[in-house]
Amino acid sequence: MTISFTVNGASQRVADDMAAEPLLDYLHEALDLTGTKLCCGIGVCRACTVAVTKGATTTAMISCSTPLSVLDGTDIRTVEHVAQGEQLSAIQTAFLENFSFQCGYCTPGFVMGATVLLEQIAASPIEEAQLDRAIADAIGEHICRCTGYVRYFEAVKATALKVIADKTGARQ
Amino acid sequence: MIPQATPNPQHGLSRRRFLQTAAGVITLSVTGLREIPRAHAQRWSPTPGVATQRIDGRTKVTGGKIFARDFNARNLAVHGWPDTQWYAMYLRALTTTRAFEGVDLTLLPADAEPLKVILGSDLAAGQQNPPLSLNRDNIVDEAIMRSRRGPGQAPSQAPSQAPNQGPGKQADPTDLDHPAGMEFDLIVRPGNRPDFLGQATALLLFDTRAAWRKARALMQFEDAKYQNYGPDIGPNPDDPKIFEPQTHYVRYTDSSDPGGGFSYYGSNDADYRKESAEQAIRVANYLNTTPDLIKHDFACDMRAMDPMFMEPESGLIWYDKTLSKLNVLLGTQSPDGDVADIGSMYGEQGSRLKVEHVDLISCFPGGGFGGRDRSPFSLMLALCADFADGNAVKLEYDRFEQFRVGLKRHACETHGSLVVAPDQTIEAITMVLSFDGGGRKNLSPYVASLGALCAGGAYRVPKSDIFANAKHSENVSGGSQRGFGGPQAFFATETAIDEIAAQQGWDPLTFRARNVVSKGDTTVVGGPISQELRLTEMLEIAGNHPLWSERAKLKAQHESDRVAYGTGLAMSLQAYGTSGDGVVAAVMLNKDGTYEVQSDAIDMGNGSATTLGVVIGDILGANASTVEMGGYTLFGQIGLTANRSIGCVPDATWDDPKLTKKGVGSSSACLTGLHQVHAVQQTAHALFANTILPAARALWGEPDLVVQDTSWSNGLLMTEGKESLSLPVIAEFVYGQGLDKGVLGHGYCQEIWVNAMFNTQSGSYRFELDGLATFPSDGGAAKAVPRYATQAMDCSSGRASRYAWAPCVNVIGLTVDRITGEVQIEDVLSVLNAGRIHVEQLVSGQSQGGVAMAIGYSLLEDMPPGIAGPADGRWNLNRYHVPRFHDVPLSSKYQPGTRSQELVIMNETPGDKKQGRGIAEAVMCSVAPAISNALRDAVGVRYLSLPITPAKILKGLYQ
Repeated sequence: MTISFTVNGASQRVADDMAAEPLLDYLHEALDLTGTKLCCGIGVCRACTVAVTKGATTTAMISCSTPLSVLDGTDIRTVEHVAQGEQLSAIQTAFLENFSFQCGYCTPGFVMGATVLLEQIAASPIEEAQLDRAIADAIGEHICRCTGYVRYFEAVKATALKVIADKTGARQ
Repeated sequence: MIPQATPNPQHGLSRRRFLQTAAGVITLSVTGLREIPRAHAQRWSPTPGVATQRIDGRTKVTGGKIFARDFNARNLAVHGWPDTQWYAMYLRALTTTRAFEGVDLTLLPADAEPLKVILGSDLAAGQQNPPLSLNRDNIVDEAIMRSRRGPGQAPSQAPSQAPNQGPGKQADPTDLDHPAGMEFDLIVRPGNRPDFLGQATALLLFDTRAAWRKARALMQFEDAKYQNYGPDIGPNPDDPKIFEPQTHYVRYTDSSDPGGGFSYYGSNDADYRKESAEQAIRVANYLNTTPDLIKHDFACDMRAMDPMFMEPESGLIWYDKTLSKLNVLLGTQSPDGDVADIGSMYGEQGSRLKVEHVDLISCFPGGGFGGRDRSPFSLMLALCADFADGNAVKLEYDRFEQFRVGLKRHACETHGSLVVAPDQTIEAITMVLSFDGGGRKNLSPYVASLGALCAGGAYRVPKSDIFANAKHSENVSGGSQRGFGGPQAFFATETAIDEIAAQQGWDPLTFRARNVVSKGDTTVVGGPISQELRLTEMLEIAGNHPLWSERAKLKAQHESDRVAYGTGLAMSLQAYGTSGDGVVAAVMLNKDGTYEVQSDAIDMGNGSATTLGVVIGDILGANASTVEMGGYTLFGQIGLTANRSIGCVPDATWDDPKLTKKGVGSSSACLTGLHQVHAVQQTAHALFANTILPAARALWGEPDLVVQDTSWSNGLLMTEGKESLSLPVIAEFVYGQGLDKGVLGHGYCQEIWVNAMFNTQSGSYRFELDGLATFPSDGGAAKAVPRYATQAMDCSSGRASRYAWAPCVNVIGLTVDRITGEVQIEDVLSVLNAGRIHVEQLVSGQSQGGVAMAIGYSLLEDMPPGIAGPADGRWNLNRYHVPRFHDVPLSSKYQPGTRSQELVIMNETPGDKKQGRGIAEAVMCSVAPAISNALRDAVGVRYLSLPITPAKILKGLYQ
């Protein structure tokens, strides 16, 4: 038996005896993808967040505590795959231009958490009044020790409002 | 190409320094990551003087490989490393009352067995207790020397204890700074009682990751099964030992005292100890015999706090036998100290490894807050090399280990009295601050020393008796965490001020305003305050803000049977820098017309590199395209010798152009705003005078052109009647004609910046620098430019303790749930005097981070001492709660009904002299007392034990 999934579009097949290995270790050791960070290792801080798609559903998932065994048939995206070449994504640009981070160690987790949120909003727009709650649900459990979260929050909100406006405009 | 700052010099090139050891000379070098490409200013921030993003931002937002944890040996082939590595793990002491007898690994299955087990008795002498090089503060250095030479001996009488250093070497008072019996073995030797919890008891080395992982999984939380200890023999009878030096500041002034009365600053070094004891009695007598004084006694305590930087410490080491070279990869706040300590470890007689070179690849630190400043981690990593048979070794803590052994902010107990006259004038402060230094000395006595200075708060205090020390204990070691003694001291003083106001029915803001210090006043040390502070103005701003002025209305709006609302105000006057700071910077014009800045500073994430990259923009017409931090060898190239006796003895004067008082010192992030920026800007001015202007004169055919005749516009150098010059054109001329391509400048600040005249290629100029050197465009070595007509401070100013201040007033509005005891911060107002603002986004970001951290240690972060705390190896973020999204107000503009944290930055005035100040710790230090004061306002209970947990709230309310 093998476990099959993709990471940033590349197929991965791992033997069953690696089923218990955390996804984070696999990313680091097997693929040398170290953009996804280890901080607490027990799923509390969410620095290790990646985007996992199964079927039509994409969720933000903590990779430090997610064993490979549950990832069969999924498509995994990490922070290394968010920009398209030199072109940063909207949220990466927003974090950059709003000076949202300092040491930057938590940033990949915030990028992935916010990316999933923005994709969800793009797929099914929410009312502006619901936005703060949605942002809190998406990245409210992420830990950043440097910034006090204000500039992360501002960047996500501004980017989400653009997404909502684009989608609302497109519908009208 | 990605815009980028490098954490260290020369993009893969290394420059070396030499360390004389018992075993011979060892060359030390700090190397940049070759994987990080160079920057292009046009892309990261094209407008001169303006940052539109962090210079390191793009790499960080894309998950670039820049942290030490990101690397394995296989990634370092370009640096010559092997592609395989071993893995290291330390076992940790579980008790300090029983002798460690050895390890028992029989429970480990074969596939989890280490290849080697190293005990303390296996270490060479130099590894058991390696010498360290702490170099922090002139005033503390002097105290150390004083304690060595005995009372009555003047500094000049002890030349052998204050050795002058050769060019490029730092004054090193710390070869004195090694009290016998106070530094403990890196690994406990079998038969000995561990000196503190978490001290290493064994090093285990594994040759595969699989074995290491399996062993770690089996042994985690099960330490006792794998270590043997003898019977309980009780704690070490010598404890609690004191980490010398201790600090005692006594001040006695009154209107009848001519010349300012008695103070540390005004006293004679040789007589201070005796006189201060006498004056302390005089203070006590005055307070006991003067009628009508209002005396408030207080006692506060604070738990230790984990810096909880996001990246647990990690590193790689490899001994290259063919080159006798130790290769190290680390993310550190103190690369210079770490590489020197590692060299010292292997430079002792009897070292099994022949080490002739140590090279450190310095990575971006994933946070720090002081917790990576002289961390023992570098030595624990270095130890692995001796037993790895030439293999690379990785040592990486997980979060449990980081909590268990990582440097902490000191737990502290304070008690004392605040004495006030009936007219609301502060008469005296007495305070004892006792810091729990934990296992290793680290920077503990220096933290205590600054705490003593901060005990005076932001007030005129005519009489004081303040004593501070740090004691050894079994707890996790304390370090230099953000605030450096300020959080403990300001909490005691500001809550005492508030309590007296509450008890007397005084308005707490007015009471403070009557007593605040201002320029021209003196500190509790007696040192002059020569910076503009504007505390009165700041209090007015806070007082007029609706969060304070409408506090009664807000209270009425929030109050219910269950919820209480309160408003608290506190202020702080955080000192930054030390009692004398040396800084060095280089500015280069590259061949393509871009600029490069090099600095000895470390960017801990606070944005130092970004700031230093843009502050040359107005001077040189463009921002730096490259900013190289951690310039470990810059000072060694400038031709200066550091001698801390300079200005104090006849044969070491500022007239000698080859002397300075200090090379480089603290790597504290708070030094950026004033010190590092100053060095970079003065050096940029020198580059303009020595290179840009001569080139322009030649290109324009205007040999008499002066600086004032020129200006920059859109990156072009202009002068009337001539075609503007682009930087590539100027650079082509500079390199074609062999002009100097760069300038290296050194500054020394002690109350004022030492300044001097220097001859440049366009004439003579006075720069606020004490050393200058030029870099020829042919790549040759730097050439010193001798200074003359030097203007410097008086020697005695070194006794002022500090000379640079960052004032802040915080107002907190909070709610308390009377049923659960939970506290919610509703609004924060911070009024900050940060001087010149170089990058507003970085300043407000630092402030917001400081507010969040303060909310954490005030309300959330609770870590008991002893084996009940993180020393048991079971602590992680599920037990240690740091602030999250919902714990901090997220709106940056005050608006009733919305939780906000508003930052009011004082406008710049001429008094700021275009200089910035420290930021995050300035804001942070007065948040905690403002919270306590707000709780007093909300529920009428004074809470003086941090963190103020819901359990403490309920206890205060109902017991």
